[in-house]
Amino acid sequence: MKYLAEYRDGSIAQALAAQIRREATRRWVLMEVCGGQTHTIVKQGLDELLGDAVEMIHGPGCPVCVTPLEQIDKALQLASRPGIIFTSFGDMLRVPGSDCDLLQIRARGGAVQIVYSPLDALELAIRNPDRQVVFFAVGFETTAPANAMAVWRAHQLGVKNFSVLVSHVTVPPAMTAILGDPQNRVQGFLAAGHVCTVMGWEEYEPIAARFRVPIIVTGFEPVDILEGIHLAVRQLEAGRHEVENQYVRAVRREGTVPARTLVEQIFQLVDRKWRGIGEIPMSGLALREEFADFDAELRFGLGEIHVAESSECRAGDVLRGQIKPHQCAAFGRTCTPEHPLGAPMVSSEGACAAYYNYGRFRVTQSAGA
Amino acid sequence: MCLGIPGRVIEVHEDRGLPMGVVDFGGVRRDVCLAYVADRIRPGDYALVHVGFAISVIDEAEARRTFEALEAMSQLEELEWMRETAQASLDGLSAGGPVA
Repeated sequence: MKYLAEYRDGSIAQALAAQIRREATRRWVLMEVCGGQTHTIVKQGLDELLGDAVEMIHGPGCPVCVTPLEQIDKALQLASRPGIIFTSFGDMLRVPGSDCDLLQIRARGGAVQIVYSPLDALELAIRNPDRQVVFFAVGFETTAPANAMAVWRAHQLGVKNFSVLVSHVTVPPAMTAILGDPQNRVQGFLAAGHVCTVMGWEEYEPIAARFRVPIIVTGFEPVDILEGIHLAVRQLEAGRHEVENQYVRAVRREGTVPARTLVEQIFQLVDRKWRGIGEIPMSGLALREEFADFDAELRFGLGEIHVAESSECRAGDVLRGQIKPHQCAAFGRTCTPEHPLGAPMVSSEGACAAYYNYGRFRVTQSAGA
Repeated sequence: MCLGIPGRVIEVHEDRGLPMGVVDFGGVRRDVCLAYVADRIRPGDYALVHVGFAISVIDEAEARRTFEALEAMSQLEELEWMRETAQASLDGLSAGGPVA
């Protein structure tokens, strides 16, 4: 496919990695906040190519992983109710709630359906007027425009049997929270390319200035990521801290304005809990009051839910970059992709699953033996 | 989750007032909502598609420029490696392969 193969070119990746190793006068610590990038870094072993020049910390870049347990439990409640068709992106189905997951609800007869697009969920509602269709609206800023449009269309077309369970999160507040942590080790960020495709990078400029960290808007292919790392290392070596755009072919400074506009029209910023991390001020999106009719929590009277996380799972420490996945005692022993304790082991974009699937655990086992 | 796939817009149409288009992803075609890029996209253009929505138009000239710059660098690297290897063998040292 055009513009894909080029950015997977092995010899270019090798050359970039060599250049980074040459230019780094010390070991720099960078964080990516994007599950897609985490997946590529671990799968392709990009962090290993960099040797001692750069340590990559895998930040909370997987929306599936940070969706709070309360929202998962609410999804499970809704999916269990007769008369409801519960729709979701496929990667939410195996995320463990307090008792079970959506896949198990489906096995017990719940109507749980995977959709590719929120517009498909809306179409399902139009075709099934005697059922209630709920869509699990999760994701970062990349996905928010799609979910906003589904709500807007339902409003426009007067679809009464469609609603959304919203658990949206936004990236810049999480970066601010990480940088403001007294234990923070991150010296530079790769900003998620597709989040910036929608939002642009204006929001990152005050963060780069305040915390004096370079922030590089970066794409997803191996060459993109290595180029993003290269730009960050160059800035660090020169003592600069600016927002720079590596992903020029898809991202503009202002982002995609019509998408931002509709997101702002449908959603408002709220405090949101991130699974494993805790509450981050103004880091989530919730429906505005004008669209409260489409809020599944209100429509089906879901109240406050109290939950307790597994005490064994150290997902929070992994997501904050305090430990690597294999440093968790449960990793690969009581926690595997087949029987995950925490969300980062579920999603293929979670750091734990990436480490597990690409054999990083073997290193630890032999080292720990 | 934020996976975005580049595809080529084949044709554009409307569905009850919503700008839509057929997009080709290396042979697989799908209806995609073009509402967010409607003012900038034409058939033949490449769009970045996420969960059924075009979220950006890919700048072809930029994609080509970036790649050519990177490719040039990689060739440079290869030349350097050849030079180093040649020097190392002259010095009677065992020459390593290109960067690991």
